[in-house]
Amino acid sequence: MDSRYVIGIDLGTTNCALAYADTAAMGDDPAMPPVSVLGIAQLVHPGEVRAEPLLPSALLLPGPADFPAGSLELPWDGADGQVIGRLAQRRGAELAGKLVSSAKSWLCHAGVDRTAPILPWSAAPGVNRLSPVEASRRYLEYLRQAWDHAMPETPFASQQVLVTVPASFDAVARDLTQRAAEQAGYRQVTLLEEPQAAFYAWIERHPGWREQVAVSDLILVVDIGGGTTDFTLIAVTERAGELALERVAVGDHILLGGDNMDLALARLVESELAQTGRKLDAVQLQSLWYNCRVAKEKLLDPESGADEEPVTILGRGSGLVGGVIKAKLKRADAVRVLLDGFFPEVSSQEEPRRARRAALQEIGLPYAADPAVTRHLAQFLRQQASQAEHGAVRRGASGLATPTHVLFNGGVLHAPLVRERLMAVLNSWLAAEGAAPARLLAGEDLMHAVARGAAYYGLARRGKGVRIRGGVPRTYYVGIESSLPAVPGLPNPLKALTVAPFGMEEGTQARVPGPEFGLTVGEPAEFRFFSSASRKNDEIGALIEEVGEEIQELSPIEVTLPASEGGGPMTPVTLETVVTETGVLQLWCVARDGRRWKLEFNVRERIA
Amino acid sequence: MEFAILTDEISSRSAALAPAAGELSWRSFLGRLVLAIKSFWAIVLTGALPDEVVQRLGLARRGQAKAAPAAAQAGPAEGALQMLGILQRDARLIDFLMEDIAAYSDDQVGAAVRSVHQQCREALNRYVQLAPVIDGVEGTFTKLAGVELAAVKLVGNVPPQPPPGGVLRHRGWRGVKVDLPPLGAKASLSVVAPAEIEIE
Repeated sequence: MDSRYVIGIDLGTTNCALAYADTAAMGDDPAMPPVSVLGIAQLVHPGEVRAEPLLPSALLLPGPADFPAGSLELPWDGADGQVIGRLAQRRGAELAGKLVSSAKSWLCHAGVDRTAPILPWSAAPGVNRLSPVEASRRYLEYLRQAWDHAMPETPFASQQVLVTVPASFDAVARDLTQRAAEQAGYRQVTLLEEPQAAFYAWIERHPGWREQVAVSDLILVVDIGGGTTDFTLIAVTERAGELALERVAVGDHILLGGDNMDLALARLVESELAQTGRKLDAVQLQSLWYNCRVAKEKLLDPESGADEEPVTILGRGSGLVGGVIKAKLKRADAVRVLLDGFFPEVSSQEEPRRARRAALQEIGLPYAADPAVTRHLAQFLRQQASQAEHGAVRRGASGLATPTHVLFNGGVLHAPLVRERLMAVLNSWLAAEGAAPARLLAGEDLMHAVARGAAYYGLARRGKGVRIRGGVPRTYYVGIESSLPAVPGLPNPLKALTVAPFGMEEGTQARVPGPEFGLTVGEPAEFRFFSSASRKNDEIGALIEEVGEEIQELSPIEVTLPASEGGGPMTPVTLETVVTETGVLQLWCVARDGRRWKLEFNVRERIA
Repeated sequence: MEFAILTDEISSRSAALAPAAGELSWRSFLGRLVLAIKSFWAIVLTGALPDEVVQRLGLARRGQAKAAPAAAQAGPAEGALQMLGILQRDARLIDFLMEDIAAYSDDQVGAAVRSVHQQCREALNRYVQLAPVIDGVEGTFTKLAGVELAAVKLVGNVPPQPPPGGVLRHRGWRGVKVDLPPLGAKASLSVVAPAEIEIE
């Protein structure tokens, strides 16, 4: 039976949100029930619990001396030894080495074992580290407990739940998110891509959306969150005389977000202060970071005529006025750092730079080498240039995809100057392609759009709203080493066998035509695993002779076949691909007699 | 049943289960023994701990929402200290008021005040709801009819009998609602702001 509520969870890099739709409030009215945002009860100060619309994705592992006894009580049981939310974020600034943050960015970092306890990355002595999966599990569990506390009559575990992930999350990161949700006690969980969720939120807010778009329109969703930037293209098509929506492209994973931008501004002010001999400690830096964000928002408002905003940091000791540090954020500097640094005016032919910029690096995480969002966008639109059969999109003279509409999501895009710059750059490319300027779709409540949209999508899955067709957002391959004689010093040439074509739909499965693999029973068999966001034409079973730059390696997948009585030491198997109803990609080995074994991601393996 | 009456009597005499430090109390031992016997029989007979035992041991029943921690009874002094603590924590108001600012330039004081003012305001708005006593325009004639006289200060040429009205000079403030968080441990309440020690 369908649950009463549909819950949408935005598991963000810096903030989580929870929205829900009440199907009981729907009645006979064909209109969608309103989607509400849940206030999430959390500690905001020691001993003070308050419901707030966002849960900061911050997890503090306090020691016995960090808080007064009894001041970390929550209205429910089972959260000992940790603090999650606003208090963790606040106190974490003072307790470096005990705070887990940006767990989500680590979840898709193939360079580390994501199930190993590695966070906090630079942990204080005596802190029991958590794995990125475990940290995500704890956020998800916390949200479940907050719901059960607020809605005791309708337990979370029996509601339909949707959890959003970046569109650029690969199959491994999605699998880990799904695993974290299951370990957190989620029973009916479905994954949804964040840009799609943002678009659903727009549809939810605009019941007359069909008037605003037409067949063959192409909608670009730009989602700049706290830690990641995500691009998605949605095509408007026609099905049985009705407008239909199809997600036709997603971008690569770009580890770059609003936090990097605010930090860049704070670093600028900090370096100016350093020139006058003022040094800031960790707490003052945190306050500088926060004040720069506020000053930035004021300066980037076109209504404001101010050329500079004061940034004040109060003295640290009890000498508040005496120790006050005054700085100014100049409008020209904010524009230079933000617009020219992160959104420069570039041509559509420019490639993202590869050289690493030290300023953006935090130890451990592989931040995007080039902070220019516009260059990443140009690359994304150009990737669609190939004559794609699947995911065909409208293109201009040079083959660049030419969106007709743009939807923004994420806190950074609150700033009107940023929106204007992005639109101006995009429209200059469109003009060069001979296409009309794109129109901006008005998004609202950019902080909660993803959670709201996820709840809407849950209803859409019940047939109560329009649903974006999408399927697998990338093409997936397994590596096959060619059987040429080995050349000393060179690895064997690698070929890639297509196992999941772009757009393979949820709820379908297919046998991979092609070779049988002989697997040794009782021993783990490992396959190298690859994906591509730009190769959309490879059919299932197609063998790619040359693995180029457009194909990226993911964590390997492995399976161990149990020894069976009477069977030989080798079992010939073929591969089968399954995309579950909940959007998870699975690969299975199928023996001739029909026995099946699921291949699991091996995230312990390190990829250089 | 007889047994239950007996134990009630004994446990009420040993009200404090945790004796004061240094006092080796046979009574406290007796109290614990009684509690243990009581629990034993209750579990044998009914399969659950009696409410009294649950409460006394500070336990919460599984599957049952935890009761909100009982708020300590706040007297006026505690409330005042708590409010000061909040204004210090969120806005550093006490630091500001206790500092000798005579030596600093207006510019310097101004920069600090903007920050303190904004955060004080936010804290005040969050925990205390304030409204004007008379919601009128200052400088205009205001009728006194229907106004609670105790909340009004008459100034100037005041006649022996309350007049029909006068010029509103100050709208006044009234606390409509105070929404302070429950008090924590009593000992910490006198601490308006903790001292900070950094471990390097």
